[in-house]
Amino acid sequence: MTQWDDSKAQAVSSDITDESNALPARYFTGQDIFEMEKETVFGQYWVYAGHANCIKEAGEYFTRTIGERQLIIVRGHDGNIKAFDNVCAHRGSKMVTDTPMTDSGNARRIKCPYHLWTYDLEGDLKSTPKSFEEASLNPDLEDEEVQEFDSKENALNDVHVDSIGPLIFVNLSADPMSLDEQAGVMKDRLEALPLGEYEHASRIVSEVECNWKVFSSNYSECDHCQANHQDWIKGISLNESELEVNDYHWVLHYTHDEDVDDELRIHDEHEAQFHYFWPNFTVNMYGTADGYGTYIIDPIDTNRFQLIADYYFEDPELSEEEEAFIRTSRQLQEEDFELVERQWEGLKTGALSQAQLGPNEHTVHRFHQLAQQAYNS
Amino acid sequence: MSSQDQEPYVAACPNCDVTRQTDDPNEVINFYRRHYRVTGHDIEIEHAEPDLDNAVTANDLKDVIRELEGQHRNGVPMGVIAAVMKERGLSVKQTLDEIHELRMGGGLYEPQDDHLAAF
Ligand code: FES
Ligand SMILES: [Fe+2]
Repeated sequence: MTQWDDSKAQAVSSDITDESNALPARYFTGQDIFEMEKETVFGQYWVYAGHANCIKEAGEYFTRTIGERQLIIVRGHDGNIKAFDNVCAHRGSKMVTDTPMTDSGNARRIKCPYHLWTYDLEGDLKSTPKSFEEASLNPDLEDEEVQEFDSKENALNDVHVDSIGPLIFVNLSADPMSLDEQAGVMKDRLEALPLGEYEHASRIVSEVECNWKVFSSNYSECDHCQANHQDWIKGISLNESELEVNDYHWVLHYTHDEDVDDELRIHDEHEAQFHYFWPNFTVNMYGTADGYGTYIIDPIDTNRFQLIADYYFEDPELSEEEEAFIRTSRQLQEEDFELVERQWEGLKTGALSQAQLGPNEHTVHRFHQLAQQAYNS
Repeated sequence: MSSQDQEPYVAACPNCDVTRQTDDPNEVINFYRRHYRVTGHDIEIEHAEPDLDNAVTANDLKDVIRELEGQHRNGVPMGVIAAVMKERGLSVKQTLDEIHELRMGGGLYEPQDDHLAAF
């Protein structure tokens, strides 16, 4: 049942057991919740970092910020991808400047600009300048007594990395569940598709004024589509759609009308598939384009998030149709931004303390439950 | 106030006796939003950074934004766009309405709040 503010929602654990009960509103609006989420959500689960095709050669890297953590994702000399905190083992300087996936950097070594400690692509400390080997400025210490640095003990801090096809995920926890476990059937499904054969072609980054979970919830249902995505729903049979819920991900399958060109899509089925992967990643398989997209829903603070929309096609040079296609996708984003920003204005007022979900918002309910689980962990 | 210490942006409501001087172009937009919300009045940009406009040759809103993008990394402030479009005869409200139209059609995006880039 809907709860207005005069009947405060109870503790999160007991509140949302019923499918129609949403996560209480204060978990969206509370300023303290975002701080908690850094630990319980973004510090615990597998979070998407970027696409392996953007760092194909040894030494190529990009950076990624998740919560407070700033990571370097780099391809090693052995071809494997590693992730490190972008923090020097000497005195904690940030080392490389922010480098987006769309404009990756290339380094044979990772060198800290502060005192020039230098690490290899495995994260091991490889060299320090002379001033760390001799104690010439220290009258109390003989050169022979200077401690030697151990390349492993003074290595960069490693972060867990794993991937699904070309999609690279990182996990900030010391002892995470496996990515296989978190991804479940999504892993097999995505790996059955030739995702790695497609190249990154376009990225659109938008800053949106609402809590990241509001957008995630909106992405997870299509009850709003009829009224708000009028161009898009023309090609879709909403009634034949299916919303499939799994442990940590859900899939919105939309059946296309007959006339969609069968040649023009990466997967065989006669449908578009939108995969939501807890906590903040989606894979978008459109029924009308031979390519796919991803969204990263990155919180900036309680009131804002960034939507990072990436598009992949066989050829990174966009054709006119592909550009038109991205523009359509962009239009959908705008329509959704309007909705979620308006919802956010309402939620922020504090008038509603707990929302009520409809029967086709079971995907949203799953999302809210995962948030609850994380908060209670 | 002499013209020397005038702030780079001056906006005013022709119906009311309110003026806003600022060095932040987007403050013009915020001023418009506040004022429109309570009065329903459009506002006019009376003055904008002198040579702001010289470099821009385009007339069409989207092309204007595309050209301005060269000078603004990570999106052009909406106030700058409004100031350039004012030279092309559009009021703040008209510019914002046109921006809205274009955005909803997928032609623009907002890499940071109230900053726009053309797709
Ligand atoms: S902090 Fe990196 S070398 Fe000193
Ligand atoms: Fe939507």
